[in-house]
Amino acid sequence: MDYLVESLWQALILISTLDRQLLQIIVTSLYASICGVLIASCLGIPMGVLVGLKQFRGRRLIITLLNTLMALPTVVVGLILYGLFSRQGPFGSLGLLFTPTAIIIGLSILTAPLIANYSLTVVVGADQRILTTATTLGASPLQAKLLLIREIRFGVVAAVVVGFGRAISEVGVAMMLGGNIRGSTRTMTTAIALETSKGEFAFGLALGIILLLVALLVNLLLNYFQQKT
Amino acid sequence: MNTLISLKNICCRLSSDFSLAVADLDLQAGTIYTLIGANGSGKSTLLKVLALLLTPTEGTIRFPSYPDLQHLQLRRRITLVEQSPYLLTGTVKDNLCFGLKVRKIPHHQQQQIIEQVLKQVCLSGFAERKAATLSSGEKQRVALARALVLKPELLLLDEPTANIDTSSVPLIENLIRQLPPQGITVVCATHDMEQPQRLGGTLLRMNLGRLDKLDSNSRH
Amino acid sequence: MRYLIKPLLICTFLFFSSVCFAQERLVLATTTSTENSGLLQILLPPFEQQNNIQVHVIAVGTGQAIKIGERGDADILMVHAKAQEEAFVAAGFGVERFDLMYNDFVILGPTADPAGINESNDAVAAFNKIVASGVPFVSRADMSGTHIMEKQLWQMAGIEPQGRWYVESGRGMGEVIQMTTEMQGYTLADRGTYLAYLGKTDLIIVVAGDERLFNPYGVIAVNPQRHPHVNKQGAEALIDYLTGQQARDLIRGFSINGQQLFFVYD
Repeated sequence: MDYLVESLWQALILISTLDRQLLQIIVTSLYASICGVLIASCLGIPMGVLVGLKQFRGRRLIITLLNTLMALPTVVVGLILYGLFSRQGPFGSLGLLFTPTAIIIGLSILTAPLIANYSLTVVVGADQRILTTATTLGASPLQAKLLLIREIRFGVVAAVVVGFGRAISEVGVAMMLGGNIRGSTRTMTTAIALETSKGEFAFGLALGIILLLVALLVNLLLNYFQQKT
Repeated sequence: MNTLISLKNICCRLSSDFSLAVADLDLQAGTIYTLIGANGSGKSTLLKVLALLLTPTEGTIRFPSYPDLQHLQLRRRITLVEQSPYLLTGTVKDNLCFGLKVRKIPHHQQQQIIEQVLKQVCLSGFAERKAATLSSGEKQRVALARALVLKPELLLLDEPTANIDTSSVPLIENLIRQLPPQGITVVCATHDMEQPQRLGGTLLRMNLGRLDKLDSNSRH
Repeated sequence: MRYLIKPLLICTFLFFSSVCFAQERLVLATTTSTENSGLLQILLPPFEQQNNIQVHVIAVGTGQAIKIGERGDADILMVHAKAQEEAFVAAGFGVERFDLMYNDFVILGPTADPAGINESNDAVAAFNKIVASGVPFVSRADMSGTHIMEKQLWQMAGIEPQGRWYVESGRGMGEVIQMTTEMQGYTLADRGTYLAYLGKTDLIIVVAGDERLFNPYGVIAVNPQRHPHVNKQGAEALIDYLTGQQARDLIRGFSINGQQLFFVYD
């Protein structure tokens, strides 16, 4: 019991003194997750909206595919991208492996189906009159779709927040593609894994507490946006 | 009189047991048309065809004065106010601005038009109110104002007084009567058998998806 | 849409600035023992400052580090499995192997020593006793330098390790020491990592001093003829630095709890 209390105390000291190493890990984590989710949003939201609105052949197939991709194991994404980004792989010349960019790409692939799927649900559940209203007011098809996204923005933002929640708590991609490099690609989750293996419980715990706080914040935001819709 | 819009041999199959059929209909510019008929007779469908929201399966729609205009340009001269209109989240002003923004009307003009139209529908001072907080009568009037700011050549109204308290009905009807002199052609679908009389103009009757006959019913 | 543009721009800027204005980058694939013990955090900063190079350390098992080198995903290796290192150079993946430092492997066990090894200096005999006692033995099982050494010892003892007592963990040295502590079993570890974990484990050294347990570390630059993109200058500079006097003094002076972890050749 003393061991846990002692570690917790040290963790709180690390957080309150804004330990430089701790800060850098947190920044790396947030940076990779935010960039990854932004890219994923640029892909996922239009995808979700289009599949949600248009009736076309193969639509059900795409929805099934999106659902499957949502359950995509992170290590599989890590494995495939590792093969692609390795110097021996097709994109090896870009030198992306073991860089934050590799993590960002991995995270965007991981979260894009999630964001697409949630956006799809929001679009399908949206008021049918929004598009007709926009059209009767003289909007072009694109303007009408943009208005639709604006009208359901809280639902869409909630989808993005869910994606961020997944990205920030993800280990497999960050570990495999980033390589857990101190000062470069060490994220909160990979650092926790490492510090636990080193027996540095306090440092891991400090990161764990911050990760929990981030998760809490994400959920509060989600709650807020869900109530708005 | 100019013919604004001309429908020939229109057929619009929506399902196996309902289709809209209009053999011949010319709407004259600057006229009020009232459209009556039982529930499910196809009033709303006809309005949607006129609003270019529904493409008929057969037949032609022509605008004799604008033979060269694109679909979007034509649509921007027509506005439909639905029976239970959807108001955009945000303020009354946001609702009124949308159509103007789409038409790239300069900002200072928007302001002017909005104030003028809000006065017309007796909602002066409502610009900054949240749309969600309005009563259903106020919402209906905002929807009407949202259409009027666009200065459409053809205004289609689907039961504009159905969801309104009786005291506001004369206000709306009065407003509609003032539109033709401003160059606005109005088609107003209604349940209220007295309304055609009060509005004046030409009566159109729908029956089982067919446009029956045209009664000339001159304004007194 | 407007409220999305600003954060988007900021992120794009951050993204490109981190790519464009980064210092020269040198990827070092190494073993967990050098990174987790804290040696590299003492050893690398002077080099990074003198040469304005950022060394990116990827700490994995020796086997995986060599594989990363073979694929050209690292510029330089710092590992401890001499036979594999020489094979790596012979196959043309590396330029040349340089001796860096050494320490030794030790066999760790619980204070009660249920196998009755009793502080011997015969690793092979100790392995036989562990098998006979049926007490768990935790193996790295990850083709690391330690695992390769362990396999050589089993071969010398003439034993094919398998069964409930043989725990193939597939994890790093530190994690294996912790697992062994929890299971109160035996394991083979490099002395450096053991010393670094001294406060976090109650395992004791039951075998040390066997000359077969010698553990040499080498550095190899990845061959630029094989992988033209590697940072050749950086790798050469790092090798010059690591084999130079300043680094030797730092390695010699690196100790945990008053115990020196790594030794340099005289």
